[in-house]
Amino acid sequence: MTYENVKKEPLVRIAKRPELPKKKAILVRISSIFVALLLGGLLILALGYNPALVYADIIKGSILSSTALKSTIKIAVPLLGAALAIAPAFKMKFWNCGAEGQITIGAIVATYFALFQVDNLPSPVLFIVAFAAAAIAGGLWGLIPAFFKARWGSNETLFTLMLNYIAIGFVKYLRVGPWMDKGQMFPKIPMFDKAARLPEVFGIHIGWIIVLALVIFIYIYMTRTKHGYEIAVVGESVSTARYSGMNVKKIIMRTMFLSGAIAGIVGWMMVCGTNYTLSDTTANGYGFTAIVVAWLSKLNPFTMVAISAFLAVLQKGSNTIQTNFGIPASASEVLTGLILLCMLGSEFFINYRFVFRKKTVGGDK
Amino acid sequence: MKKIIALVLTLVMVLSFAACGNDEPVNDGNTGNNETLTAENIKVGFVHVSDPSDMGYTYNHDLGTKKMMENLGLSEDQVINKYNIGEDEGCATAINELIEAGCDIIFATSFGHGDYMTEAAAEHPEIQFCHATGSQAAGSGLSNYHNYFTSIYEARYLAGVAAGLKLNEMIANGTITEDEAVIGYVAAFYFEEVISGFSAFYLGARSVCPSATMITLKADSWSDPVKEGQIAQSLIDQGAVLISQHSDNPSPATTAEAAGLFHCGYNSDMAEAAPKASIISARADWSIYLTYAVECVLNGEEIATDWCKGFADGANFTSPLNEAVAAPGTQEILDEVAQGIIDGTVHVFAGPWTGYYIWDGSVFECAEGEWVDESKDRSSPYFGYIIDGITLLDA
Repeated sequence: MTYENVKKEPLVRIAKRPELPKKKAILVRISSIFVALLLGGLLILALGYNPALVYADIIKGSILSSTALKSTIKIAVPLLGAALAIAPAFKMKFWNCGAEGQITIGAIVATYFALFQVDNLPSPVLFIVAFAAAAIAGGLWGLIPAFFKARWGSNETLFTLMLNYIAIGFVKYLRVGPWMDKGQMFPKIPMFDKAARLPEVFGIHIGWIIVLALVIFIYIYMTRTKHGYEIAVVGESVSTARYSGMNVKKIIMRTMFLSGAIAGIVGWMMVCGTNYTLSDTTANGYGFTAIVVAWLSKLNPFTMVAISAFLAVLQKGSNTIQTNFGIPASASEVLTGLILLCMLGSEFFINYRFVFRKKTVGGDK
Repeated sequence: MKKIIALVLTLVMVLSFAACGNDEPVNDGNTGNNETLTAENIKVGFVHVSDPSDMGYTYNHDLGTKKMMENLGLSEDQVINKYNIGEDEGCATAINELIEAGCDIIFATSFGHGDYMTEAAAEHPEIQFCHATGSQAAGSGLSNYHNYFTSIYEARYLAGVAAGLKLNEMIANGTITEDEAVIGYVAAFYFEEVISGFSAFYLGARSVCPSATMITLKADSWSDPVKEGQIAQSLIDQGAVLISQHSDNPSPATTAEAAGLFHCGYNSDMAEAAPKASIISARADWSIYLTYAVECVLNGEEIATDWCKGFADGANFTSPLNEAVAAPGTQEILDEVAQGIIDGTVHVFAGPWTGYYIWDGSVFECAEGEWVDESKDRSSPYFGYIIDGITLLDA
């Protein structure tokens, strides 16, 4: 090694590390949560509160009372649903950032049935029709960018993202226009009739059962079916897929239809099971948070259950600390953000390592 | 395989639909049923649309809560505030949590909370529900459901007079021509509560500055600090020289200040945020109602279904005039007008004016000597006419 070479070496290099043993990787992940809690604790201290009390309150306010627990589960269910929706697309490396819009479109269609067909259809029929229609509508909304991608190779990240705003804009139009609550003369869409609201099992709308069924469905679909295999191959290499005779265009469109359809179902349960009305915020950012869930769980549906439950606890808990400590919403969002950043950051440390410049280099002494 | 999955899914759906009607009896930990309520054990819950850091609506409502607690000698742990509760399912959860915590009376502060309040009131007849700005109590037929608001249009009118005098001053010293006396108004939504507010403000301004006109844009949100500021800027770009607002944050005030223009605020004294721009702010003193309602519960009396008080009872007022910005002599005129409103000699929505009804565009004429009596039939404002001279840029 010559002197010049040594001089050129930077103080810190980032190097890909050989795969970590499972135990060690888990250790890194757990310690990242501790780091997150520590950093969050500093933030809470800086705001003038006792971190231990605030953390205890997050737990207390999200799972330790029946109302709180129900409300946390009501957050976890659509989040999990949205994560399941984007999983097949992400496996295919089709970056579906449009779950938000696909949820919204599903919600719009479900709302149509809940508002205008409630008198014409008995409740169970209404639910099933609205369910199917929401799934198809969400699927078609997902199909649009897939078609353009398959046909002309357009950028799906931007395309799906932009479609979100169109979907939400359409809700705004309906809210101030044709679907406005005439009874109240306020630009909001009316609440659904009792007959159009999903029944509850254990105090939570039946969406939770459907989402759990979807967990199993996606798991089987992704790991045990020909479709799932094709998705994985397209995700790894489009050329390989084409060479082995797969119809890549068809796979892309089929998978995005499925992705959008599941998101549409989430929209259906949001309006019929949770909100009982449609608003601009019906999708509530779940379509975006789902991306975090999908990444953290490495697209494994069972891990997604745990991650979305964890994020739901954070979201509900951060509401509670606003109430009990008067911590502003923005500050509790920073706290949630810190925890997520650390968790995602740990994945970096699992895959890469820092290489520091050695103090003494052989041959110089 | 696919068939099996489909079968399983169908079964799950059918089973879950069959499981409807599983309504467990709600066990609310409410103390109100068993023991007598006193100032020592009553629990009061609030559902707020934002949090006091907005320095606007919720901040001001919270001031009312504090004053009510002082008036009645309630301690901190008797009052539970739920902040940042949107006009969605989160509202139902917040109300349920307040019930679970044993609240005997629950207040919600935003119009869109109404549907959830109505449903909760029907389910929990032993708890009193009071909804600010809402309009559903009377129609619901529930004796435990109430609406309240203040005659904020009176304070708005007064603020409008101060604004008109400022416009006059600008015309007099040549900063603007008569035709350029344009007020920009940041509206949250277009419906009666907001329309009533900006009409009162406009009529106040026009009562002293006849050439004044007004342009409005809506934020589609009660509280969105960034958007409110952007809208104020957009109004300024379209010729507004004075900004007022019906939205929760002081960002329109700071935007006006940054542009070297003027502003009239709402909720809090916005001169604190924009000392060089904000002339005066229309404010509500919610403690008057909150004290009344909680006292009613303590005394076992009925709370009025609709409650709306104004200047005469101190339920609304204007912040101290910012003399550094206001036109000279404004205070004297304001005192006179305020007295007139209390005496009943000044009517805010008095003719002559023409306009159209927002919902169907039908023309309405209010002749000289006539006026629209706002908030007499119910607490929630119902003045829904767009007076000629006001242009809704985005209606």
